[in-house]
Amino acid sequence: MTVPAVSRPVPSRPAVDADAVVAALYRDHGGTLLTFVLRLTGGDRPWAEDVVQETMIRAWRSAARLDPAASPMPWLATVARRIVIDDRRRRAVRPAESGDTPLEQFAAREAAQELDALLGRVVLDEALASLSAAHRSILTETVVRDRTVNQAAAALGIPVGTAKSRVYYALRALRAALEDRGWRSAG
Amino acid sequence: MNPPVEHTDVAAYALGVLEPGDRAAFETHLASCARCRDELAALAPAAARLREERDARQDTT
Ligand SMILES: [Zn+2]
Repeated sequence: MTVPAVSRPVPSRPAVDADAVVAALYRDHGGTLLTFVLRLTGGDRPWAEDVVQETMIRAWRSAARLDPAASPMPWLATVARRIVIDDRRRRAVRPAESGDTPLEQFAAREAAQELDALLGRVVLDEALASLSAAHRSILTETVVRDRTVNQAAAALGIPVGTAKSRVYYALRALRAALEDRGWRSAG
Repeated sequence: MNPPVEHTDVAAYALGVLEPGDRAAFETHLASCARCRDELAALAPAAARLREERDARQDTT
């Protein structure tokens, strides 16, 4: 089987090498995804590994539709989360642990909120990681360390005016990076 | 004593990292600068997201 170097409009099969796409996903994001899923499974590692594997199988099937320019992490996290929720639902219908009491519904809602917060954190971390070192460091030295721009300028040994304009370009870059990852300011 | 206000100070203002004197000077500027008001509206959500995350992580440590 030969894979054409240039994608051709063949509708019946994807023009991308799905195996290579998934191998790259495992290599670049497998560890992060497993850490994320472990939180969702409450530390159940065999379950988490199954979820990561199933997520990668779905990524393999969807490889042609994944945008190679965008970070795949939000997509992977969303799919993994859906798999965990489906697993929970399947377990809940088993008679031994019949699961629709108000307490369990509350717990499920809490878990869903925690997952959303986690996903938001993953997106923010990825957005920050995508910035230039200078942009990331000026945001770290000011906001993250809770210092004024003058204090950060002194710490970095740069003029205050430079620090202020760097904050400006860094925040604009961060906003663009967040939006690239599907973040919407509404919440 | 304070350096003059620049339009680009809007980001440091949105992030809450201006010195008190600069913050007051920028607010005076903001009252008369539509461009900075627009930019503040555009940058505020990302700035808020970053501050919120900083606060959340401080709470857990
Ligand atoms: Zn202005």
